[in-house]
Amino acid sequence: MSRRVTSVCLHVGLLAVAAVTIFPFVWMLMSSFKYADEISAVDQHLLPRVWTLDNYRSIQEHFDVVRLFGNSLLLSVAITAIAVYSSLLGGYVFGKYRFRGRGPLFALVLSTMMIPWAVVLIPRYTMFTDAGLQDSYASIIIPAAISSFGIFMMRQSMNNVPDEILEAARIDGASELYIFHRIVAPLSVNAISALAIFQFLWVWEDYLWPYLMLTTPSKQVLAVGLTTFSGQYSTDYGGLFAATTVSIIPVVIVYVIFQKRFVAGAASAAVKG
Amino acid sequence: MRLVVVTTIIVAILALVAWPILAALLGSLHDWNPLNGTYRWVGLANYHRLFADPVFWTSTVNTVVFMAGAIIGRVVLGMALAYAIYSRLTRAKTLFRTLFYLPTVTPIVAVAYVWRLMYNPQFGAVNSIFGFDVNWLYDSRFALPAVMVMTIWKDFGFAVILYLAGLYSLSADVLEAAEVDGAGAWPRFRRVIWPMLRPTTLFVVVTSMIGYLQAFVQVFVLTAGGPGDSTSLISYLIYQQAFVKYDFGYASAAAFVLFIGTALLTMLSFRAQSAPWRGKEAHR
Repeated sequence: MSRRVTSVCLHVGLLAVAAVTIFPFVWMLMSSFKYADEISAVDQHLLPRVWTLDNYRSIQEHFDVVRLFGNSLLLSVAITAIAVYSSLLGGYVFGKYRFRGRGPLFALVLSTMMIPWAVVLIPRYTMFTDAGLQDSYASIIIPAAISSFGIFMMRQSMNNVPDEILEAARIDGASELYIFHRIVAPLSVNAISALAIFQFLWVWEDYLWPYLMLTTPSKQVLAVGLTTFSGQYSTDYGGLFAATTVSIIPVVIVYVIFQKRFVAGAASAAVKG
Repeated sequence: MRLVVVTTIIVAILALVAWPILAALLGSLHDWNPLNGTYRWVGLANYHRLFADPVFWTSTVNTVVFMAGAIIGRVVLGMALAYAIYSRLTRAKTLFRTLFYLPTVTPIVAVAYVWRLMYNPQFGAVNSIFGFDVNWLYDSRFALPAVMVMTIWKDFGFAVILYLAGLYSLSADVLEAAEVDGAGAWPRFRRVIWPMLRPTTLFVVVTSMIGYLQAFVQVFVLTAGGPGDSTSLISYLIYQQAFVKYDFGYASAAAFVLFIGTALLTMLSFRAQSAPWRGKEAHR
């Protein structure tokens, strides 16, 4: 086979997979602008014949999707900030301090990543309910405030922080907090942004825990809102297309802008593992 | 500072992980229903019930099939596409990489709803594009494969990224030597690249295994375990027992079995990796 033929085959194959990859998103977006009769028409077309924003208007009216979006955004930003900060702190302590039991404790932190959510879910549910934390955002934030994956990732990135700089700062009389905030944090920017991306996406897509904890509909997150919407208006396909678009497209836009950081983060988490 | 951090971490692990595991173990030995306040010691009765429950066995088989299919799909697609992107003949590498990773970053609940609509027998894109007339999610022959296809579509991009990172980390000398030897593309892949990427494959397999043993949302949204129990996975069974029937004791027993299964499978994979015959092959 000549190089040319091989090259054409490669590109055709890659393009075919790429088409399958993005098609569901395009289909969702286009369908969200269609009227109900066109969505369920026998004769299917990708582009709407008549464009409409009715589906978006209707989910906002029946469902206050803007509110749910805002709740998800607030929780995602807050938890990401807290978890990244605590992970950096944990990573710094495990990476740069020597103390008795450091190895075993770090191994323990790592081992918690392997535990299925189903095991801890039920006791956590009773714990948080008994503590009267149900229906408060504290119940969502507390279990996510410390991330063993985050500590692990930050611990690995401490190799980029030279010990000599820390020593020099200490000799100059800098406080530990000053060193952490002014030297360690700025030198860890790449790892911080990678972790922040993961963390944000996890909170954004988290479903079961907010579903169990939050009972007031107006406090609910977008992911749970989708299932409630689908349960209540199971035949409003246009509304469902619009609601999934609202949940997915912002993530896609952020991804397209920062795709290099996304990919670097994913690769680094694995290669170092 | 060190003391505060270490103490916080220890307290968090004790309160949010260690105690819940113990509570789940204890709970699995009780008849436990939070709605009517029952918490009565029953010994191993929940485990006896579990192992005699046909739904548990169906769910176990489903979970194994789902896991194996999704992992194989992820590894094969991930490896093949990474190798294709890596090829010197390929252009627009960044574009392909970016597109393939897109489904992985999008939120799974919303994505699962899109796929539910894709599988819709009346207007879904799967039927209208390929000319099928199948009710994918309501036919017990096709429902589990349909859930698997959606899962592979969602996750293969992560494997592509990992294999690409693995390929770029291989030493150029070895690859060149293989080329100079005149080995064809397939033998070169089979004899040199595949063995050298074994650590990446292990990582993909182990993380996928841990993830897929706990897969829940796709079944929750697409099929609710049906038709019948044909797509019920272990995690879905646990959810059903716990938060639909509020049989916390039974659900805890099932969760504990899942926990042991996950731990065993993870250990076995690492054992397989470090086995001497594997090591030799990798260095050959």
